[in-house]
Amino acid sequence: MATAVEKLVLAVPSKGRLMEQTAEVFAKAGLELRKVGNVRGYRGEVVGLPAVEVAFVSASEIARYLKTGRAHIGITGEDLIREQISDWETRVEMLKPLGFGFADVVVAVPQFWIDVREIADLDEISPAFREQHGRWFRVATKYMNLTRRFLSSRGLTDFRIVESLGATEGTPAAGTADFIVDITTTGETLRANGLKILDDGVILKSQANLIASRVAPWTPRIREAENEILARLGV
Amino acid sequence: MAAETAKQFEALESQAQRLMASFIKAGHEAVAPAIIQPASVFLDVIGETLRARTYVFTDPDGDELCLRPDLTVPTCRLHMERNEDPATKARYCYNGPAFRFQPAGSTSAHPREFRQAGIEAFGNLDREKAEAQTVVTLIEAMKSAGLNGWKLRIGDLGLFRALLEAAEMPSRWRRRLMHQFWRPQAFRTELKRLTMLATEVPRDVPKELLSSLDPERPADAEKAIARYMDERRIEPQGTRSLADITENLLSIVEDSRTQPLSADTANLLTCYIGVVAPARAAGARIKDILRDKNLDIGPALDAYHRRLQMLADAGIDVIRADFEAEFGRSLEYYTGFVFEIVAPELGAQSPIAGGGRYDTLMRQCGAESDVAAVGGAIHTERLLAAIAGGV
Repeated sequence: MATAVEKLVLAVPSKGRLMEQTAEVFAKAGLELRKVGNVRGYRGEVVGLPAVEVAFVSASEIARYLKTGRAHIGITGEDLIREQISDWETRVEMLKPLGFGFADVVVAVPQFWIDVREIADLDEISPAFREQHGRWFRVATKYMNLTRRFLSSRGLTDFRIVESLGATEGTPAAGTADFIVDITTTGETLRANGLKILDDGVILKSQANLIASRVAPWTPRIREAENEILARLGV
Repeated sequence: MAAETAKQFEALESQAQRLMASFIKAGHEAVAPAIIQPASVFLDVIGETLRARTYVFTDPDGDELCLRPDLTVPTCRLHMERNEDPATKARYCYNGPAFRFQPAGSTSAHPREFRQAGIEAFGNLDREKAEAQTVVTLIEAMKSAGLNGWKLRIGDLGLFRALLEAAEMPSRWRRRLMHQFWRPQAFRTELKRLTMLATEVPRDVPKELLSSLDPERPADAEKAIARYMDERRIEPQGTRSLADITENLLSIVEDSRTQPLSADTANLLTCYIGVVAPARAAGARIKDILRDKNLDIGPALDAYHRRLQMLADAGIDVIRADFEAEFGRSLEYYTGFVFEIVAPELGAQSPIAGGGRYDTLMRQCGAESDVAAVGGAIHTERLLAAIAGGV
């Protein structure tokens, strides 16, 4: 669909702390984000920059917007970009870490497993585990791709991922998984659930990033709008 | 992509008819296993690496299903549905689509949707004969479809297992080395680790506790570990039991009190892994490595030679066959003889057929014990391309 006036599409988280902190960072740079029309609407503008259209969408949707080029730039977690875009380096460019939305993606096992501290220990016990339980390890996570890539790169291939869309930290106690890959900031939730992070189990230290899509329809006018935003944000 | 044009569709269909006719003539019964399969069988059997390449989906009932990534597991399941005793003798053949995600994009040599024509033989206890027959039947079928030039690559996990059995070491080390066989780098690391066990990795277990454990008295060891956990208020949680953890800790203790693997044995295994030779010379090469080592793997070597002789007797030109000790590493459910057939037009990266022995697969699919099983499949799009003189 061709619009009369081409605009840069800026995708911004639509709710929660991520939205508030994005608005703060932008406001400090003199960029005021404002919703247009209905207050509950999902479209907005940057005051004083008519060439920019703001799309308020969920953080995981932003990764898809950037991947397909529906948004030119966006703000979302590095974890979501790496998880959702298998060839992320060719599709997007991380422009700047924004200093909020911190989350570590980690491998955590029950504290009860006092014989396990590293990924290599998991690999070592996996044949015996399989003999006793008739199956490979089950790993609960919402980060299926990050998990598969990380564990394979560490030599652990005998496991099965169980997709978990919430309360992942409870799955080992419930018996639906043997260990997990999840995000944590302080590790408190994991500890409270009787889990510990493996010594070499930090997959990614993630935070919110300003990200550009390499596959969006860039025009000189849109580039100009981008440069204006980047300059104010000090990129 | 597969069968994209009507012309290739017809060419594949008529080729498939010839292949199937040849399989049936060799005594295989034609079957058509379901294309949509329960995902768990594949994922639990083959592991997460294949999942990355399998189209998995959830149906409206919430069941996790997949498009079959190969036809071997579906044929095993079909056989088990038909026979109360999975060890019942049977020979099947099939031709149908299989699906694999191609991380580098779908290409004509590596399409995401392709057709496999293949054979499986279950319950035949004359293993070498069944293996030789599998290779012969596949090559004959491909010849009937017009294939001329081919090369055979073979491997034999039976030889490696026999070597591990003959070499002096605790059985848990054998299990570990077998487990790592598929991953060259991990295998070398494990081998090196076993030769210098003195330097142990740190664990969440104090040295005093570890050194107090006696492998001869597992019940006492379990009590001591339980007491340690109580003091630390570490609660039992998850799928591994106190007994599982005790057993693992005891094997760590045992390792620390066992003589490390001798450099001689490690060297021997490394030499064996490196063997690459024409199939007819490989036996002699392996004997050479074992000379003066006082290790007897006679039966496994005899089986190797017997199979090769049966291939030759059936008219297979075994000069075109090469043996590689390491071959088979990426195909984790195979348990013995493995092979690939390569056409010079397409090269070793795109074999036109492959297969081998997989005696544990039926048990992994739910049978109570292992069932002798061997089979192989033709990548029919590649065969068509090879016969046409390359892609």
